[in-house]
Amino acid sequence: MNMPTFTRDDAVKLVLARLARFGQELGQPALAMADEQTRLFGEASPLDSIGLVTLMSDLEGDIHKACGVWVTIADEKAMSRLTSPFRRVGLLADHIVEIVTATRA
Amino acid sequence: MSVWFEQRLQDCGPALAMQGPWGDCTYADLARLQAAIRIDLQALALDGPAVFALVGEHEPAAVAWLFALAEAGHSVTPLAGNLAEHPGKLGEIGAQWIVTSAGFGWTLLPRMSEPSAHAAFGQLRTQGHAGLVLFSSGTSGRPKAMVQDLTVLLSTYQDRRRNRLPVLALLGFDHIGGLNTLLGALATGSTLVVPADRSAAVVAAAIAHYRVAVLPASPTFLNLLLVSGEHHAHDLGSLRVITYGTEPMPPGLLPRLRAAFPRVRFIQTFGTSETGIIRTESPDADSTFIRFVDPSTEWKVVDDELWLRSLTQVGGYLDARDGAGKFTSDGWFRTGDKVELGPEGTLRILGRLGEVINVGGEKLMPAEVESVILNLPLVLDCRVRGEANALVGQAVVADIVAAPAADHEQLRAAIRNACRRALAAHKVPTRVRFVAAVSGERLKKIR
Repeated sequence: MNMPTFTRDDAVKLVLARLARFGQELGQPALAMADEQTRLFGEASPLDSIGLVTLMSDLEGDIHKACGVWVTIADEKAMSRLTSPFRRVGLLADHIVEIVTATRA
Repeated sequence: MSVWFEQRLQDCGPALAMQGPWGDCTYADLARLQAAIRIDLQALALDGPAVFALVGEHEPAAVAWLFALAEAGHSVTPLAGNLAEHPGKLGEIGAQWIVTSAGFGWTLLPRMSEPSAHAAFGQLRTQGHAGLVLFSSGTSGRPKAMVQDLTVLLSTYQDRRRNRLPVLALLGFDHIGGLNTLLGALATGSTLVVPADRSAAVVAAAIAHYRVAVLPASPTFLNLLLVSGEHHAHDLGSLRVITYGTEPMPPGLLPRLRAAFPRVRFIQTFGTSETGIIRTESPDADSTFIRFVDPSTEWKVVDDELWLRSLTQVGGYLDARDGAGKFTSDGWFRTGDKVELGPEGTLRILGRLGEVINVGGEKLMPAEVESVILNLPLVLDCRVRGEANALVGQAVVADIVAAPAADHEQLRAAIRNACRRALAAHKVPTRVRFVAAVSGERLKKIR
């Protein structure tokens, strides 16, 4: 059976929805206001390293629900990219689409 | 008694000993603080060595107290954070006096406690040596206290050559690695730079601002530094040496670091709370193998486990249960580290044999997290373990057997928030999985 295409738009929505939920959990409602340009990690970002790892774990669960595949977002490829996918929401969405597509192939 | 420290205070007077959020502190400032502390200690009119808790961070007053207590032959327990975090530890060490430090100031408080009758303290008294008590994660989830000979530990820094290269303090004042950074910096007459916190952004800004030359760090911190991009946002051109330790270097990270910092020399370090820091060298810059080159330490590998015997190893654990099986009768310490032997007397650290989870160099035992989670009403059972993670080395995973009525999404948030309230940040499970059953009997919930 062919799975529906997982688009970049789907990935952005997934990340923003998870950020909003995570903001509720942490008592940081501002996370619900995030957009593609929001910084995830680094200076002036809302997350520390443990927060970032937590967000990735939850997102992996969300991706499984949405696409039926288990992926590891923080893989060696993500680590070795010149521009880290963990800097901004949009970059993370690009990375997610890439690994979901590669996993399904 | 710590002759080199007195010598450094005299030789380096106007030079900067420490820089941090509280300002600049010269070696002469440290000497003045120490003189004032000596007066405070004399005023106590103690009739023998006592046990002091020293609550603070890397800051001038705490450092001056550490050396003043060592000089007077007392035992000192450095505790990071604030006093309210440590009631159990104060009781366990039998602290008779508590010093809380803040920048250049301190408060000295008496604590009602009988002098500790522990044999390790008795031996120090007999020898006229000062003691150092450090805590590390225990197998039961309860931190274990180890008594070390502070006089011998300090003496191992005696012959360091002066270099004046500013060093950044990333590991805490209560951590053997953090103490090693502090003692190494002062023994070489250089400056210890203390960042306001340990985030990549603040540390990178401190390196640039204070022109730090030596950065002792964990592989996880270095990975996060690259991921955050802070090495581009600040001028880190002053860095000459990065030392890394406390956890294995993941494959792939060292080449990336060398590409990001082409002028920096990378050196792997190794140490345990039980044996102190051991001097090592690497066969070449790209190798994650090390060779021990420390005359005060012997090593061997038994069934893939690294065993060490060192001059600076602990005299004993305050609770004898903690030491059971850790030391052999002829003084070898079983590190619990799984290692691989390489050519020409080298070895590589692969990870832990036991259950200790190492999150970015900060260790924890599953039981301490499980005991918090099992208190939640909708949790029937749970098991906590570590899993490999490219961002922080190992991440904490909690497998949960939930009550049938539980909403998994809400319970996941409740579990993490309960852990955030009760535990240090690195102990909070980053992955919470719901499973039908967990194996093992470690902390079976009794209902």
